[in-house]
Amino acid sequence: MPIGVKTVDRPEVESSYLRATLKGMALTFKHLVRPVTASQQYPEEKYEVSPRWRGTHRMAVHVDGRAKCVACGLCPTVCPANCIKLIPAEDENGERYAAVYEIDEFRCIFCGYCQEVCPVEAIHVGVHYENAEYSRERFVYDLERLCAQKHPFTQLWDPEDPASE
Amino acid sequence: MNDEKKLLNVTIDGVELEVPAGTTILAAAERVGAVIPRYCYHPGLSAPAVCRMCLVEVEGAPKPLASCVQPVQDDMVVHTNTAQARKARRAAVEFLLMNHPLDCPICDAAGQCELQDYAFETGQLKTRYVEPKLVMGRDKVTPEIVYFADRCILCTRCVRFMDEIAKDPVLVVINRGQRGYIDTMTGELFENPFSINIVDVCPVGALVNEDFLFKARAWDLDQTASICPGCSQGCNVSLGTKEERIVRAKPRFNPEVNSYWMCDHGRKTVINWGAGARIEVPMARDGDELKPVDWPQALDALSEAIGNEPGRARAIVSAGASNESLFTLRRLMEELGSDGGVFRVPTGPEAELPGFPKLKLRRDRVPNAKGAELLGFQRSDAVFDSAQGHRGALFVLEDTLEGAPDGFGTNAELFVYIGTRLNPAARSADIVLPSTTFAEMAGTFTNFEGRVQRFEQALRGPGLARPWWLTGSALLERLGAGGRYRTAAEVFAALASEVSEYEGLNYEVLGLKGAGAPGSSAAATAG
Ligand code: SF4
Ligand code: SF4
Ligand code: SF4
Ligand code: SF4
Ligand code: FES
Repeated sequence: MPIGVKTVDRPEVESSYLRATLKGMALTFKHLVRPVTASQQYPEEKYEVSPRWRGTHRMAVHVDGRAKCVACGLCPTVCPANCIKLIPAEDENGERYAAVYEIDEFRCIFCGYCQEVCPVEAIHVGVHYENAEYSRERFVYDLERLCAQKHPFTQLWDPEDPASE
Repeated sequence: MNDEKKLLNVTIDGVELEVPAGTTILAAAERVGAVIPRYCYHPGLSAPAVCRMCLVEVEGAPKPLASCVQPVQDDMVVHTNTAQARKARRAAVEFLLMNHPLDCPICDAAGQCELQDYAFETGQLKTRYVEPKLVMGRDKVTPEIVYFADRCILCTRCVRFMDEIAKDPVLVVINRGQRGYIDTMTGELFENPFSINIVDVCPVGALVNEDFLFKARAWDLDQTASICPGCSQGCNVSLGTKEERIVRAKPRFNPEVNSYWMCDHGRKTVINWGAGARIEVPMARDGDELKPVDWPQALDALSEAIGNEPGRARAIVSAGASNESLFTLRRLMEELGSDGGVFRVPTGPEAELPGFPKLKLRRDRVPNAKGAELLGFQRSDAVFDSAQGHRGALFVLEDTLEGAPDGFGTNAELFVYIGTRLNPAARSADIVLPSTTFAEMAGTFTNFEGRVQRFEQALRGPGLARPWWLTGSALLERLGAGGRYRTAAEVFAALASEVSEYEGLNYEVLGLKGAGAPGSSAAATAG
């Protein structure tokens, strides 16, 4: 041996792969006849999340489909991630409304402050987690998209115990 | 102080002080730092004591007293924040909120509303009023001021401003009690050159300027002490800026210039000042074309051109340029041999504020005509005439060149344009240097009576635009003509040592309220 390679002598039973293979196959056969149900058949089976789960946003709408947001500017002010863009304007009835309302869901830290601060219960974080997209830009949700969301609103506190006592 | 006035002893919240007879409790309390809530009282107006918000407890008095009108008496003991006083004020707020829509989320005043503040402070989260609220809607009082009747607390500040300060008593309270509202007697819109001050005095969101309606939240704005560029009065203002734009100007109290007021023309002029297409990079001529260059290249090109001895210098300057920029140009022109410079002054009708006659919307609609004059520039109605045939060096500082004749500047050996926007006439310049507006730098203006007032930088200049005093002094240093200025204060110090009218002044002396130069008509008010 030119360089100091050390050859370890092991008994045949230990060094053979046969034993390990058979052990593996045994497990496979066992699962074949009696499947273990600890894992979940996602996406056929959905994951149950808490009603207080804080996921991507949803904007509440009036019966006529208009967003409830009155563009008060509180959520962009409170947002610690600074990810809400709002440009207020005056609509044809002279009312204040959000001409531009966008949330960057990538920058959002899902604290739920926006929902908590909203005086008209317009913006909500939602019970939702399936957010995959093919491009980064799609994670900036505009007003139309926020209004079109259908998932349930997050319950930020227990209605029985609003002060969490 | 008036010698005849007796000094009285008063104890406010345990602090003893002496005040001259006739001082109200409210004013005395301010001196010890106790701010008593108030709605109808405004320091610039008379006090009718209608809102009952300023009630305080006075020992020996049978009930709380309205501190905005109650003069201090000798040995009075006042408590501004006892249970009795708080209860009285809480009741006042409760009454005001009876029919109040509490639509703070859509109200322009939210964040700068005294009613919101005190309602919050007194902690009235629930109303005890069960009847339906009275809804009155909104209306316009001038073409640009909207009146939200529901939000009005009938403090009558707006009515009193029109009566006492504008002396144009158009506004009245119509009806009584909870059905009361503010309008003109005839219901028609009124117009007054100082009308928007009623928006400022309104303590709530009842009077709103359409220019600002829904534009921005009060807490989103950055505030910068500045001077209105609208006319030669030089009203002290505070610029509200958001996202690198001027959204509004509000008057900043200065008893010598504008008190609490300013004119509508100024407010409108200043909105979005300097926004839009601007010169963002220095440019130097390369054959037929102006090529963008960076600052060192531009200054090299300029100092080379000046080294070639283009001849004596003439200038057209803007009377909206700061003293610092004008002075830097003057020094540069002296290097070349100065043939003097001219500026033009757009004018408009004058308007006086009768209740504070010191304040006039002046005929000269530029802020620094006096300053340009003191630096040796000549006022002229035909600025282009003297420059047109000039063969030496021609400098244009911040004049727009609007109305310049064809072929302007083509005769000059060297034509330098320093400004913010590239007018077609400026395209024939050999060198174009981007400069900043008054809002994008610190500096001073000298108002019509020689009062020198500072303004601070509120915005960033676009691209590579820099104040001319900064780039101009870098150029002077290259030319070996002496010191380079790094701050506007340094330029002003140099200016003050050279120009006799500014003797003894510096940025410290000027402060944020300005001062008149010794010997000028404003000297008496210096300090
Ligand atoms: S959940 Fe929090 S971080 Fe996300 S948008 Fe709302 S306030 Fe901002
Ligand atoms: S807090 Fe609510 S009403 Fe206000 S801007 Fe946000 S979503 Fe709109
Ligand atoms: S006036 Fe003041 S209290 Fe009333 S809605 Fe406007 S911000 Fe709120
Ligand atoms: S409009 Fe404003 S200033 Fe005028 S009375 Fe009403 S609350 Fe007072
Ligand atoms: S401030 Fe004194 S009664 Fe209104």
